[in-house]
Amino acid sequence: MTDIKNPYLPELATVLRVIEETPNIKSFQVAFNDPEKMKGFTFQPGQVGQLSVFGVGESTFVINSPPTRMEYLQFSVMKAGEVTAAIHNLYPGDQVGIRAPLGNWFPYEEMKGRNILFIGGGIGLAPLRTLILFMLDNRSDYKDITIIYGSRTPPDLCYKDELKEWEERSDVNLILTVDNEYPGWSKRTGFVPTVLKEVAPSPDDTVAITCGPPIMIKFVLEGLAQLKFRDEDIITTLEKRMKCGIGLCGRCNIGSKYVCKDGPVFSLAQLKEMPDDV
Amino acid sequence: MSTEKVKEAIAKILPDVETVICYQQGFDGLHTTPLFIKIPEEINGLIWNPLCVQNLTSYLPSIKKKVGIVVKGCDSRTIVQYLQEGLIDREKIVIIGVPCTGVVSVKKVLREIGHQPVAGVAFDDNGNIVVKTSKGDRTLAIADVCPDKCATCQYPTPIVYDYLAGDPIKSDKPKESVHEDIRQFDEKTLEEKKAYWEKELEKCIRCYACRNACPMCICQDSCIAETREPHWISQKLSLTEKFMFHMIHAVHLAGRCVECGECERVCPMDIPVAKLKKKINTEMKELFNYEPGVDPDGKPPMYTFNVDEVKIKEHKL
Amino acid sequence: MPDTGYLPKEKVKDFMRELAKDAVVYAPCLEGDTVIFRPFSEERTLCFDRPANSPPKSVIYPQSEQLFAFEYKKDPEDHQKMSVELKADTNVPGMVIFAARPCDARGFTIYDRVFIDTDTPDPYYKKRRENTLIVTLSCAEPSPGCFCVGVGGGPAHKEGSDAMMTELEGGYFIEPVSEKGKAILNKSMIEDGSPYLQKAQEAQAKAHEAVKNPFETDKLKISQDLFNNDAFWEEAVSKCVSCGACTYLCPTCYCFNITDEQASGKGERIRSWDACMFFHFTLEASTHNPRPTRFQRFKNRVGHKFVYYPEKYDGAIACCGCGRCIRYCPVSVDISEIVSNLTESGQKQQQTAGSAKK
Ligand SMILES: Cc1cc2nc3c(=O)[nH]c(=O)nc-3n(C[C@H](O)[C@H](O)[C@H](O)COP(=O)(O)OP(=O)(O)OC[C@H]3O[C@@H](n4cnc5c(N)ncnc54)[C@H](O)[C@@H]3O)c2cc1C
Ligand code: SF4
Ligand code: SF4
Ligand code: SF4
Ligand code: SF4
Ligand code: SF4
Ligand code: FES
Repeated sequence: MTDIKNPYLPELATVLRVIEETPNIKSFQVAFNDPEKMKGFTFQPGQVGQLSVFGVGESTFVINSPPTRMEYLQFSVMKAGEVTAAIHNLYPGDQVGIRAPLGNWFPYEEMKGRNILFIGGGIGLAPLRTLILFMLDNRSDYKDITIIYGSRTPPDLCYKDELKEWEERSDVNLILTVDNEYPGWSKRTGFVPTVLKEVAPSPDDTVAITCGPPIMIKFVLEGLAQLKFRDEDIITTLEKRMKCGIGLCGRCNIGSKYVCKDGPVFSLAQLKEMPDDV
Repeated sequence: MSTEKVKEAIAKILPDVETVICYQQGFDGLHTTPLFIKIPEEINGLIWNPLCVQNLTSYLPSIKKKVGIVVKGCDSRTIVQYLQEGLIDREKIVIIGVPCTGVVSVKKVLREIGHQPVAGVAFDDNGNIVVKTSKGDRTLAIADVCPDKCATCQYPTPIVYDYLAGDPIKSDKPKESVHEDIRQFDEKTLEEKKAYWEKELEKCIRCYACRNACPMCICQDSCIAETREPHWISQKLSLTEKFMFHMIHAVHLAGRCVECGECERVCPMDIPVAKLKKKINTEMKELFNYEPGVDPDGKPPMYTFNVDEVKIKEHKL
Repeated sequence: MPDTGYLPKEKVKDFMRELAKDAVVYAPCLEGDTVIFRPFSEERTLCFDRPANSPPKSVIYPQSEQLFAFEYKKDPEDHQKMSVELKADTNVPGMVIFAARPCDARGFTIYDRVFIDTDTPDPYYKKRRENTLIVTLSCAEPSPGCFCVGVGGGPAHKEGSDAMMTELEGGYFIEPVSEKGKAILNKSMIEDGSPYLQKAQEAQAKAHEAVKNPFETDKLKISQDLFNNDAFWEEAVSKCVSCGACTYLCPTCYCFNITDEQASGKGERIRSWDACMFFHFTLEASTHNPRPTRFQRFKNRVGHKFVYYPEKYDGAIACCGCGRCIRYCPVSVDISEIVSNLTESGQKQQQTAGSAKK
């Protein structure tokens, strides 16, 4: 009998840095304890990892640092329940477990030479961040890059330093919005789907990639359809309750597709083929 | 024959309600299954006989529309308890009560016939059930294969109803007999009891059929058996976890369990879990002189904590 | 060596003792009215005359098991720092499942596709599966609710068995199915089976005839229209109480949960059965639940078994027709009836019957 790899056993890793992004989102930069493992580690933009706090549990997060910057892996975690609360209590030096990479990734090869439209809401910028940074690191491969990003209030915007950077770049068109007027906020207000309609980006040779709360995604998809984006050119990443992350525990299915293995990245064309219990 | 009376009553109330919950034949001769009647044509599918064991009232709290329901004496106790606890709106329920002479425990019948497949059943006029199998017919007295609750039933006629399909029946069973089995069980030593429950609970597969079928188990989707907050019970299959779950289940039903026996009836591993709840009810009766589900105007003792409970001192609590 | 064997009834226990010499032998035993697979021992009462209440799935796929143990340790150099140690143990003893029914054995082949034939096989399941010999007992007659022939199985269907016994008057005819199964013919209690071959085949054919096929055609064809019609499900399963009986007793259900348990710096990560019939199964931290209602969850259960799994695995149905979910459902939900109503012919019948609905 040949010994097979135990897919449930996490790789030990250490928290290097904790960044407070918003009142309820923190980013964690972590590196495997085994330097060889860190060196040999590869992943694709959009893939996820299972982050363990031993004794509390495991949860799924996008690796939101790009594969082009490999000193550490970054996860941004919104406090939502038991495991995420425990992760929020971590400090640099603390030990965690990582099972990664899991799932599929953004079809960035097929996006080469095209215009890219990112539409994100709240923590939904995390999966987009990995692809944005990856594209910026390979800027010449892509045409126009537009990012529409919104959150409830200005303090709820993630990656504030990077947002500033992107805003200043001439090769990125960043449009920020918050739900309502807010002291000191001079940019747009309104929900992301509304802003999308106002900006009305052209669907010509453009791929739209969106991630955010389910309700935002719903209206963004409607908006993109009105703007005449083709279903194949609309890409989103889904969230489903997950455990194993490798297509065995049966939890994350939508019909015959398992979000952990066949996803989390799907095109709208694929989603339309699936049952509607999303 | 009650069947016709039940059908008549349903026909009468149907225009006024969204659905009437009653029984139909199930997958084999021994089993019935709920029937939700929406249109008059469906009334023909109804059956009424001693195989109609399920306590249908457990569907009531989750239904928002106006419904009709067919209940036996014991089932009506659930409705009374629901009313006491404000879990249902009396205005939205039309109750068809059926005076009952006792039902059949499918498990006991299966035991009697050696767990053979059943081709069909019939009921004769002498209180017997005739079970047809490939090895011939077996005639069993219903009184011998009834659930324990029927053997000591005090309320064969429903306590609340809007229509009564049949003439009221008075119980001829002594009141003291109700908790006799518990008193006998209490005679066992602590070690014996422990061994008994260890052996029984060992079989539990934590399927929660007992919980989900229980009409008075109202937390269901947020049951401590599965939550992590609070994290009282882990997902391990150890005896400790099972014991803990059943104890909490029983304690949450203190003075609320209407002794319909559903938990025990549905257990696929034949664990006598109703005994745990009945034991607590016996204590509740002793301490507070309270019997769940019999007085629509009563208040369950756990809802009315009173420092000077009448009999509390006698029990050295 | 002959191709088939025969085990006289009086030697069954000897045979089991022989098997128990180098393996744990799980056999259906009677406890009260309940039949459960238990490690065979002399005090237990064997019960071969009806299918066990719970299938032997827990032998190979325990209801809860440790994935690994962890321990936090203080760094000897720097007491502020903690390190973690992980330990996983995938070793298992040799095991025999004895006198399981053919459907129970077939259930494991449904797990194999998921747990073994993948690029991330499950080491715990795989090792137990490899270390287990499955000796089945063909069914002499169907139990209430059985419909194995409707899903491509049968009371003497051999897929998943290593060897199959068929009860005859004085003993059991034994047919090896796999190489592993052949080896048991070497045991001293086993006689030559060839004189009994014909009798056994007759018994098997008779049993096959007796099992009902709830589906009209051999090839199940589910109507997509009905399957995707919420009203169908609401109507079909409004009586379901959403418990775990049907899935935990099912020899083909395999969903699991993963949770951590710890006490003072030490603990374990365990996996335990879970089921799509439970509300919390898909409940997300945001309180969004993609399948909040009972009928949606039931649709997923039937869908997984009869639509999604077949879509993924070349038409294989993830139900072996053992009938347990029917027999032990608190409210007698009959999956074979529901699936048969979902087929195209069933749909026609319903249309004629239901045309009067308001
Ligand atoms: C593909 C994918 C990518 C994700 N990426 C991110 C990210 O980058 N940043 C972020 O903040 N969040 C992300 N999430 C959501 C995140 O996984 C959940 O918020 C988190 O699991 C909640 O865990 P909890 O223990 O705090 O919540 P609890 O409610 O206590 O959950 C208990 C258990 O349920 C499971 N669970 C509950 N909700 C979810 C959920 N929505 N998705 C998956 N499992 C869940 C987990 O296994 C968790 O251990 C992602 C989810 C998926 C599926
Ligand atoms: S307990 Fe009484 S009312 Fe209930 S089924 Fe038995 S005899 Fe009928
Ligand atoms: S129904 Fe029986 S097996 Fe299921 S949880 Fe209750 S006691 Fe355990
Ligand atoms: S179908 Fe029956 S066994 Fe399955 S969850 Fe519903 S009530 Fe429970
Ligand atoms: S779905 Fe029911 S009949 Fe099919 S294998 Fe599972 S328990 Fe048996
Ligand atoms: S998804 Fe449901 S039906 Fe399928 S294996 Fe899991 S619990 Fe069983
Ligand atoms: S998380 Fe286990 S199957 Fe997807």
